[in-house]
Amino acid sequence: MFSQSLRQSNKSIYIGLIFLALWMFFAVWHVSAGAVAIPWREVLSNVVGYSDEHEFIIMGYRLPRMLIASLVGASLALSGLLVQGVIRNPLASPDVLGVTAGASLAVVFVNAMLPDIAVVWFPVIALIGGGISTVLLLSIAKPVLHHPAALALIGIALAAVMSAGIDYFLISRPMEINLSLIWMTGSVWGRNWSHLPILLSFFAVLLPCAIWLAYRLDLLSLGDQTAHGIGVDVQRLRIVTLLVAISLACVAVSVCGNIGFIGLIAPHAARFLFGNRHIALIPLAMLIGAVLLLSADLFARILMPPIELPAGILTALIGAPYFIFLLSRYKHW
Amino acid sequence: MLKRTLFLMAALLVTTLSFGQISVQDELGTLELDSVPERVVALEFSFVDALANLDIAPIGVADDGDKTRVIEQIRARIGDEWVSLGSRSQPSLEVIASLNPDLIIADRERHEAIYEDLKRIAPTLILKSRGETYEDNLKAVVKVAAAFDRADEMEKKVAEHGAKMDQFAAQIDSDASVMFAVSSARGVTMHTPKAYAGGVVNRLGLRSPVPEETEDAYVRTTIERLVKVNPDYFLVGEYGDETVIDTFKENSLWNVMNAVKNDRYVETDPRLWSLNRGMIAAEIMAEEIIALLEE
Repeated sequence: MFSQSLRQSNKSIYIGLIFLALWMFFAVWHVSAGAVAIPWREVLSNVVGYSDEHEFIIMGYRLPRMLIASLVGASLALSGLLVQGVIRNPLASPDVLGVTAGASLAVVFVNAMLPDIAVVWFPVIALIGGGISTVLLLSIAKPVLHHPAALALIGIALAAVMSAGIDYFLISRPMEINLSLIWMTGSVWGRNWSHLPILLSFFAVLLPCAIWLAYRLDLLSLGDQTAHGIGVDVQRLRIVTLLVAISLACVAVSVCGNIGFIGLIAPHAARFLFGNRHIALIPLAMLIGAVLLLSADLFARILMPPIELPAGILTALIGAPYFIFLLSRYKHW
Repeated sequence: MLKRTLFLMAALLVTTLSFGQISVQDELGTLELDSVPERVVALEFSFVDALANLDIAPIGVADDGDKTRVIEQIRARIGDEWVSLGSRSQPSLEVIASLNPDLIIADRERHEAIYEDLKRIAPTLILKSRGETYEDNLKAVVKVAAAFDRADEMEKKVAEHGAKMDQFAAQIDSDASVMFAVSSARGVTMHTPKAYAGGVVNRLGLRSPVPEETEDAYVRTTIERLVKVNPDYFLVGEYGDETVIDTFKENSLWNVMNAVKNDRYVETDPRLWSLNRGMIAAEIMAEEIIALLEE
């Protein structure tokens, strides 16, 4: 028993290291490749500050994008992991809870009403919109919180209503909301250092929360009654976890717009490799999420230069088949 | 004392001449340039038209990866030696930076999100382009010229263009209504007088069949609404081979429209009528309309 769990944790460390190496590989590739070919020697001397010939391209463009893609991917993955921990359903992801749709609707609505609004306000509006839809979701779902499937269904219904609202603005005011449309396709294009503080400050608060929740979610996976019997306040745990998960999704959406599938796939893949212990799943899911969005953004930039594809399209392209593969092999619930 | 004041004034004059010689008020601030820019990058097609009027060839254009999106008449004037900067909605900042431009001309609507990044690369002039009216464009071209210290010259060109358009308008003796629409795989969009093409139609003294009170520049339409609008002349620019207008044609309502009955439904070039907004394009559009009316 003891040696088995030791072996298990050894294996975990190996897998973790493999994904860390994979992330580093993509991070280096992301910073050194792009529409403009720069020899790696020059990239290196720019990064260490020895040269500033390509200062903007390396330090002002690729490096912040690499960091933002990684952080947003990680926060989407972590959000998905927590949501799946609460709604114990393989289809659960932050998108299912209507947060993404709520944030998008808020941005589209404000953009339609105030066509001249500066883009810098979008993250703030998205956060507020995500917050409102969270309150809405929790207040409607409060009586059925012990029924994870019902919560997911309410979330899907809310998301559908909000998507209808977005479609309304799409059709009635196509010109005005053009800006928010681009923002909604989910892209890391045009993001720079100024977007990092908000991401990092949310992480600084929410990551410790997630770690604190990890053991409690392990207990919850034994079933509501057992968890309750051991002394877990199941109802409160659900609400706190959902709040943390939704805040993570909100900040990710507010910076990069709608990027689908990462919140769904990364935690799945982590569970597939690691089993069900949340404390180990957190770093792995975050790494997988970071690798997914980072590689999506890399290919978005280098597939057809100088045309930039929205990374959201690529995550769906990589994500959908992978998701089908996972579902067909899934036996970890 | 007088000598000293004069000296001071002279010194002041010299400094204002050598620093910030060129200063242009744009949509988000003031562009300051020490000298006339030589390496220019344009992030929308309307700026290419403006530059062509000044015979300035941009070194980079956000042309959606396709140089032929700029109409032939403009390419004949400034060549097509520019570097493609990618799509207009998401131009590649890397490529822009690698060109070492000394002026970037950006669109307020599309590029406000990257304005700060653009300014890090080079002085940036941000003007109205997407969704601009015909009149907006005439103001924007003067601002483009002002960045090259050639605003007076451009104002003269705008006046000449106005005279030309007056001449075109004088040739037209018709109260027919003319409407341009764009058709893509997603739908058919009418261009009202608030849109550039609609503005050109109005400038020639022709009516738009869409009521004046419409606030919107671009209105998505169904076949029913199209029949109600019922333009005398209906010009459609198609993006792609199979677009929504083709499904309209199969509808029996299609033949109810005046334009179709009188054989005045024309398929035209969306690049000219919608993408390449500017004086050069407007004059070609005017010639096309006159040729159409004379048929």
